[in-house]
Amino acid sequence: MGKLKVVLGILGLIALPVSAEEWPDSQWQQDPTRYDWQAVDDYAFALRNDVDRSGVRSDALLIIRDGRVLYERYAAPTGVDTPHLTWSISKSVLATLLGVARGEGRFQLDDPAARYYPALREHPQLRLVDLLHWASGLAWQEDYEYAPLKSSVVAMLYTRGRNDMAAYTAGMAQAELPGQHFAYSSGDSNLLAAALRGMLGADQYADYPWQALFTPLGITHAVWERDGVGTYVGSSYLYLSARDLARIGLLMQRDGRWREQQLLPADWVAFNRTLFTHAEPVPGDANPGGHWWLNQPLPGNPPPWPDAPTDTFAALGHWGQALYVLPTQKLVIVRYGDDRDGSYSHNELLKRVLAVLAKAGA
Amino acid sequence: MKRILLVLLLVLLAWAWTERQALSDFPSILSAYSAKEYCSCRFVMGFDEAYCRAYVKQYLPLGRLEEDSRARSVLAEGLGRHSVAVWQGPREGCRLLP
Repeated sequence: MGKLKVVLGILGLIALPVSAEEWPDSQWQQDPTRYDWQAVDDYAFALRNDVDRSGVRSDALLIIRDGRVLYERYAAPTGVDTPHLTWSISKSVLATLLGVARGEGRFQLDDPAARYYPALREHPQLRLVDLLHWASGLAWQEDYEYAPLKSSVVAMLYTRGRNDMAAYTAGMAQAELPGQHFAYSSGDSNLLAAALRGMLGADQYADYPWQALFTPLGITHAVWERDGVGTYVGSSYLYLSARDLARIGLLMQRDGRWREQQLLPADWVAFNRTLFTHAEPVPGDANPGGHWWLNQPLPGNPPPWPDAPTDTFAALGHWGQALYVLPTQKLVIVRYGDDRDGSYSHNELLKRVLAVLAKAGA
Repeated sequence: MKRILLVLLLVLLAWAWTERQALSDFPSILSAYSAKEYCSCRFVMGFDEAYCRAYVKQYLPLGRLEEDSRARSVLAEGLGRHSVAVWQGPREGCRLLP
């Protein structure tokens, strides 16, 4: 018996490194492979313009390959521990959080949103799946600082809607039937945040992002701001370090599994990654999936990011925030920035990263 | 000529009437944006004052941008309106006061 244990132990030692899958515990493991990152550095960390804030201004770039850190760089004052504002990456993380709730059987995609958020009773045809496709059909104007007068998102975050963002959105007129057409709306995301609240007990909601997602992933320093009535600002106000956001990316890369635990159903991740085809192609803009962004082309169109694989998917935010997942390449890339103009290109960054990795390790 | 000006004035007034809500909200945007994002820059992301002042800077100038670092609250004033954002806690970050 003792001998058998020893033999099994030795076999285990031999077998383990072959099948071992890398996961971060409190820290990420490093991938020791060396590459020449010059072309990536030249693009992402070009001389920073702090006078007129023009050009590409990266705060962080973190590249994970198969669960290990391949490249990591920060621009001060952002550092390894900075919980950086993710802006609209929050929306996709909210969708991942909803995946946990889906796995717990708390809702079905086709459920009317008003079942969980009664303020939507005037919109009985609106389903949760429509909100996840940004296809509520509500009369929403998504423009940021270039058109502040007419912007629904500015009014929601800063003026009329700020105390109760979901109620502000629910008060919008129905411009077209739900589910017919993609029209990007931060309001739709905050309706989802309010619907999640309705799926949970009153005492569960505040802790839910931590209990359901952050703690199982080992994320210890998340901040998620709320509106005046306590609903998470699911559209905009999640803060995570680059390393912690990469944990969300690794979870998605591995189809919702974290170590041995299927944290969200694999078919939920498949839904996140399924193209919503009722959308207009915009050059350079990724296409909508289930509250995540896809490089999969719309029928009859080229992929939005031609130099990246078509199975690339992403969570994207204002001022250049990005979490890219390249499942075939087993890559997770976090890019934080403070870009105040439109010069940063997702395609260019991904193209350069892939070109570096295509060369043999130097 | 006078008639054209009169028509233009009427068009402008009609537009202002249809956009009265947005126009009355507009002056608040600057101070609310500045107070909220400055508060989060300082007390959530943990950056220094000089960085955060530059971070929230817009084309329109602010009258005041003052922080109370002990109470972790921020007051911003611009376009004749003022807004206050206050840090709520380690998970909750900052929020604008009503």
